[in-house]
Amino acid sequence: MPFTIPIGPFHPALEEPYKVRVRCAAETVEQVNVTVGFCCRGIELLAQRRNWVQAVTLIERVCGICSSVHTTTLCRAIETVAGIEAPARAVYIRTVLCELERIHSHLLWAGLAAEYIGFQTLYMEVFTLRERIMDLLERISGNRVHYGMNRIGGVNRDIGEPAPVIAEVNAIGAAIERQLVPAFLHNATVTPRLAGVGVLSREQALEWGVVGPVARASGVDTDVRSDFPHGGYSDLGFRIVTRPEGDVQARVVVRALELLESIRLVTEALRRLPAGPLCAFEGVPVIPPGEAIARAEAPRGEVIYYVASDGGECPARVKIRTPSFVNIPALETMTVGQQLGNVPLIQASVDPCLSCTDR
Amino acid sequence: MTNIDGAREDLAAKLAAIPGATEITERRDGLWMSAPQLDVEAMAREMNALGYRLGTMTGVAAEDGETTVIYHYARPPLAVNIKTRTRDGALPSVALIARPASWAEREIHDFFAVNFPGHPNLAPLLRPPQLTDGFFRDAATAE
Repeated sequence: MPFTIPIGPFHPALEEPYKVRVRCAAETVEQVNVTVGFCCRGIELLAQRRNWVQAVTLIERVCGICSSVHTTTLCRAIETVAGIEAPARAVYIRTVLCELERIHSHLLWAGLAAEYIGFQTLYMEVFTLRERIMDLLERISGNRVHYGMNRIGGVNRDIGEPAPVIAEVNAIGAAIERQLVPAFLHNATVTPRLAGVGVLSREQALEWGVVGPVARASGVDTDVRSDFPHGGYSDLGFRIVTRPEGDVQARVVVRALELLESIRLVTEALRRLPAGPLCAFEGVPVIPPGEAIARAEAPRGEVIYYVASDGGECPARVKIRTPSFVNIPALETMTVGQQLGNVPLIQASVDPCLSCTDR
Repeated sequence: MTNIDGAREDLAAKLAAIPGATEITERRDGLWMSAPQLDVEAMAREMNALGYRLGTMTGVAAEDGETTVIYHYARPPLAVNIKTRTRDGALPSVALIARPASWAEREIHDFFAVNFPGHPNLAPLLRPPQLTDGFFRDAATAE
């Protein structure tokens, strides 16, 4: 007889609240229902009660891990409405922050994945690397999270000495290539635990509209950095990473190899950092009536911002579509037919962010 | 004619045949269509057939109590934003045509109390239980 197990809302996979109701026949999953909304903060509504400058600070709080891509995308949408072009140096600094943030996010996820499969040694090695990235982010921005780097029209802080940052990023990249990539691609403890688990076919990925590493691990070659080149990506080039298998192992491999591409992008952006101002204007921005959208590739996938202005001091509307909002629903298909014991691992493999999803 | 021009013209021609469609305009952030009386189910079927992915939907409260709903599609290198309006607070659901619309419509229902007839499960998604549907709209009115 089938039975139903409620998992969550506390810590069903990662340390954020959502609920999964799993219906099983013996050990095999027959149906999954996902419930979110346990930490809805109404950030979009709050943004309509902040002025344009305050809204940037507020939006940084959508997510503690990918805060920079959120403010970058918001600022790009506002700049489109206002017809502002951020200076080239600011655009490159934004790119550096977004890629360092991706490295941090992927390392955080890789460490937790290692812990879930009981590989504590790898978990500790990965988190040591993550700590070095956080040190770098702190050196650049002054903060370990919520970097406060972006402003409308540019950035708040310069990267005055790129050389030491390049050296440290390359050292971290070498360690990732030496320790992490072989572990996730070839280690006998890792690969049998992940291969063939939680498969999402290419057709299913397209049907459910998943994005980011989840889509790329199912053979869908989508990435905003190449689909809609913007910022530094237009000049620096970009190599997309895809895998055809669609399983948890493929999601791990895609993220591991993307780390190396992010290392390259950070290095190139810092080497080519253009001279010039950090912001397009001085003083408080005036945003005329209008509307615009902006897209960017967050660590978990495509993020979309819609911004509308009525010419007032505050945004008339800020809409945020985060990648987890479209990746989490696909759990309802990729867990069917799987062993109950694999459900936490499959959930973790989409790197669900409820802070982003619920906003 | 470049591939982008060709894709844009193909899209414009296909959408023009849909009841309620209007002219497509090009902006810095992509293509836009504002069509208050658009047949959204026909639009969603056509966009599927053309290979466009529905990224999300945006709701924006209108002063007359209706809601502007924007469908954000993408098929690189084209991004397409199709704007329509609710009719008596409702708009046909496209969730069975485009899966990503399912959670997007539930969110708009939570925030702006828009009904989406035909949605398979228009249950609250993000709305805290102590609030009512349309709490974004209620908050704006309270100001």
